Amino acid sequence: MERRAFLTATLLVPVAALAQAPAAPPPPTIAGQGANGALSAFLRIAADGSVTLLTTTSELGQGTHTAHAQIVADELGCALSAVRVEVGQPEPALRLAGVNEMYTGASFGIRAWAPRLRRGAAAARTVLVQAAASRLGVPEAELVATEGQVRHAASGRSIPFGELVEAASRLPLPEMPAMKAASERRISGSSAPRFDIPAKTRGAATYGVDVRLPGMLFAVARLPEVFGAELDSFDAAPAMAIPGVVRVVPIPRGVAVAANSTWAAMRGAEALVVRWKATPHDGLDSAGVSARLHAALAQPEAQRPKNDGDWEAVRAAAARVVSATYEVPYLAHAPMETENATVRINGDRAEIWAPTQHQDWCVRDVGQALGIPPANVTMHSTLAGGGFGRRLHVEIATQAAVVARATGRPTQLLWRREDEFAQGYYRPAFAARMEAALDAQGRVTGFAIRGAGGSVMADYRPALMRNPAFVDPFALQSVADTRYRFGQAFRAEYARVDLPPKNWLWRSVGSSQYGFFVESFLDEVAHAAGKDPLALRRELLAHDARALTVLNTAAERGGWGTPLPAGRHRGIAYMEAYGSLCAEVAEISITSGELRVHKVTVAFDCGDVVNPDTVAAQIQGSVVWGLSSMKHEKITLKNGRAEQRNFDSYRVARIDEAPVVETHIIRSGQPLGGVGEPAVPPLAPAVCNAIFAATGRRIRQLPLEGQPLS
Amino acid sequence: MAKLNVNGRVVEFTVEDDTPLLWVLREHLDLTGTKYGCGISACGACTVHVDGVAMRSCSQPVSAFNEGQKIVTIEGLSPDSSHPIQQAWLALDVPQCGFCQSGMIMAAAALLAVTPRPTEAQIREEVTNICRCGTYNRVIAGIQRAAGTTGAAG
Repeated sequence: MERRAFLTATLLVPVAALAQAPAAPPPPTIAGQGANGALSAFLRIAADGSVTLLTTTSELGQGTHTAHAQIVADELGCALSAVRVEVGQPEPALRLAGVNEMYTGASFGIRAWAPRLRRGAAAARTVLVQAAASRLGVPEAELVATEGQVRHAASGRSIPFGELVEAASRLPLPEMPAMKAASERRISGSSAPRFDIPAKTRGAATYGVDVRLPGMLFAVARLPEVFGAELDSFDAAPAMAIPGVVRVVPIPRGVAVAANSTWAAMRGAEALVVRWKATPHDGLDSAGVSARLHAALAQPEAQRPKNDGDWEAVRAAAARVVSATYEVPYLAHAPMETENATVRINGDRAEIWAPTQHQDWCVRDVGQALGIPPANVTMHSTLAGGGFGRRLHVEIATQAAVVARATGRPTQLLWRREDEFAQGYYRPAFAARMEAALDAQGRVTGFAIRGAGGSVMADYRPALMRNPAFVDPFALQSVADTRYRFGQAFRAEYARVDLPPKNWLWRSVGSSQYGFFVESFLDEVAHAAGKDPLALRRELLAHDARALTVLNTAAERGGWGTPLPAGRHRGIAYMEAYGSLCAEVAEISITSGELRVHKVTVAFDCGDVVNPDTVAAQIQGSVVWGLSSMKHEKITLKNGRAEQRNFDSYRVARIDEAPVVETHIIRSGQPLGGVGEPAVPPLAPAVCNAIFAATGRRIRQLPLEGQPLS
Repeated sequence: MAKLNVNGRVVEFTVEDDTPLLWVLREHLDLTGTKYGCGISACGACTVHVDGVAMRSCSQPVSAFNEGQKIVTIEGLSPDSSHPIQQAWLALDVPQCGFCQSGMIMAAAALLAVTPRPTEAQIREEVTNICRCGTYNRVIAGIQRAAGTTGAAG
């Protein structure tokens, strides 16, 4: 947990954001307070030559820390093993440009930070070389930084970085350092073992729940069952009667029981007698949710962020109109580590340890809860047992701070799995109505879609939604900005439906449902037009060489159009999300009504790649994630509450269902795209399109579970 | 007072009888590698070995164990992370978030103890731990690597 103590001289390198670099460089700074606050990371080089990168990104298992180290080692000119990575504090250098917050999300880890890390490492290398040049009395151009040393080839002399740091730290950092050409990179671009793996194979990795502090208490929350129900009253006596229970504390949205062990706290939370206030939706069930979604599909009013051409005219002139309605349920993230945070208060200062995706909000909320400035709150970002967007929600930070203040002792607050399911923020339930116009030759002349469901942005960043003209970008994600060209008219509408469960960012967010909607529907259109589903997509993407390459790579490598063993069938889908293009071909069989996905071939263009093995791992994980939600996952509502409270009722995919995943990474050289999310959306439609090929049955509702296939 | 044999050491401590073994390991013995995931033996994050057999520790009260039973956690699986499963996990970068992986490794090691060369079908049937990151392909490949067999998964 403790920051590493550095030996003597330390070189602090602020890294200016590329996009905000001024034409005339301002005076350079050393201590991390750069021009306009537009700094983005720190490097420290200690006298022993070790390099510490204070990164902005939480390690959720996506491997970003190793990738960041690869980028820095390459550009600086040192061994990968010389680089250590720590998560920094929320401060200007580590905040994402634009939103000005330190967080891990939107697959930003590499695509937003790689250029800045590279630039910062290049600036550090530049001053190290300058320091060496003046010490050796040779021109900088004759020097090379490599293997943690600056070398002068002509004389055979070299100086380790550690011996140059003191002098280098007194030199002005260049705003626009010369960076290595891609062809000179030796570490970035090749697979490297992840730094976090060894500890994870011996039980030594520290997650939020593993934080231990002297004198600490363990607390467990008791949260309402009905969504958003407020606390009415509670009787603490039954909880206090449990041996080990120390205190019962009201917290935002519920009550916490603090004890000298988690088990005592769990028993206490169970024993508490809690009364919740009635809500207007105490009788809400899933049929009611579905009815609201379908009513919104039919209502006159909707936002219309995309309206190219005259859809009504194109529709009227069509030789044929294909239409369909699709629907998906609420989904939980269910990360393996349930919500938790540990808070220690010392006078007007506090520390928080949490497996979070949003450092700035943790610090802000703990500060607010305790009435101290955010600057007085120290953030310790632990490893996280899964994120998937869930940990951008940080209410646990406030709750833990409230309990720590009440107990007067360092306290770790944990949510039980049952509360995690009941009060998790979900991928919203959603429905869509789509229509495609075809001419007499079966060409698509127009496409119209309306999506209806909860607004993720309204719960994630409500301030943005105060402007009534603002359209939630997740509400038509990967649709409004599709590369497909649908002929003369393309209309995309969103009808917002406000329901009691909170809507949240769930791995691939809006693209998660629209992949299923649009790519399944295009399969319907292809069959209606008498076309091969791949051929239809090629027509719609004929103008776009990059997208065609992705589509064709998946098709070729996935054997599209080639003979299959008896009983095997294929489906294909394509989608772009978070700056990456992804196409998938699923190969399935159905035996006695049982679906088996044998293999998924993935073509993936994220521009360029830092660690190919990590990209492959993320794609393998995305396929399983997509398959799990497609086949099994749903949160259903009854009497205003979630019916699923644990993994016995919220079924997720296990190892027996995992298909072989064959990944083909395309290095297009285009701007970097995200890796953790874009392979999720094509999975469900690729499999469902294969089910249609196998059975003639069109799956228009998820999950598959409960829908007979034979 | 409870008395257990954990990772080759006999330990004595005071604890409520109904406390699940998981919480004893994590909070009384400071062996935090074993994880809480569900509390109902559904996910396997809490898997340990009891006399060589994989057991989910979250719903077994400590009173059900005695010092004659050898309890092994991830921390005690091998003295230096040299168990073939751990070596394979390192070689293939199996974990992602890693929270389920202590349990996954213990489940895999217990499988190999009984079935040294499992088929892919046996692995798929016997390992029932949940991994939300979806590392299943690498878990299969890792077990096969540790067993000295090869397969198509990956």
